[in-house]
Amino acid sequence: MSSTSQKHRDFVAEPMGEKPVMALAGIGEVLGRRLEEKGFDKAYVVLGQFLVLKKDEELFRDWLKDTCGANVKQQGDCFGCLKDWCDAFL
Amino acid sequence: MSSLRSKSAQDISDLLDEYGIKHGPVVDSTRSLYERKLKEAMAKGKKGKASPDKTYYREEEEEVTYEYRTPVRSDGAGDSGSYMRSRPEWSEREFEHETSYSSYLRSKPEYRGKDFVDEPAMYDTPSTYRHSYLNSTPMKSQDAPKAPKSSRLIPLWVQFAFFLAVAVFLYLVFSNMETNESLKGIE
Repeated sequence: MSSTSQKHRDFVAEPMGEKPVMALAGIGEVLGRRLEEKGFDKAYVVLGQFLVLKKDEELFRDWLKDTCGANVKQQGDCFGCLKDWCDAFL
Repeated sequence: MSSLRSKSAQDISDLLDEYGIKHGPVVDSTRSLYERKLKEAMAKGKKGKASPDKTYYREEEEEVTYEYRTPVRSDGAGDSGSYMRSRPEWSEREFEHETSYSSYLRSKPEYRGKDFVDEPAMYDTPSTYRHSYLNSTPMKSQDAPKAPKSSRLIPLWVQFAFFLAVAVFLYLVFSNMETNESLKGIE
């Protein structure tokens, strides 16, 4: 990874368990709240969506943008975070 | 255009394959995404891919550059023609700037992002000036009709005044540095 945030590293370091959706890299308070309103209240639910979209970057980015209005950077951070987590634990 | 909502998940899946859109299973959480993608694909397909790929020139200085130079380059017909016409106007400034300001302005990169890019581009070197001048030249036709108003954070005269003030200041500092010897050499 060229430049990953501390949040990313923290998330990828261990199984996500019951971590809230705001633990994902790129997802702060605002986006987290929007995701929770749509029913994605835990990180693993977003993981579920990520997997249903076959871990495809474009699809996941589009979905994230549609669902909570994430910008390009946030989309990328979240995608990268989940992807790395899957590489490590899935 | 038939309503995508009423289609079955299988139909949506087939349509996605038709348009060559990579997709996963069409479930509740992914359905709206795929419907939107199909809508876009259909719109594109009908129009024959009229994608509005506007290259937005986010750098305001490009517009501002032309605003400022309009009185100089009234014609703007040929690149070389107007370039040479305005060049003697700027050469005076270049002269007094290069003496003492090149170092000063190099340490002020923040101005580049604003309206001040006009001046630093010239202060550095003639080649830099030429480069930025030509850079802005091809965009003129596109920028002129776009947004004619120039939003200056700092009025231009303020910039000039500040610039001159710093110039005078530096001159005074320089001229006062050699108190023991005569000031002949400075003249």
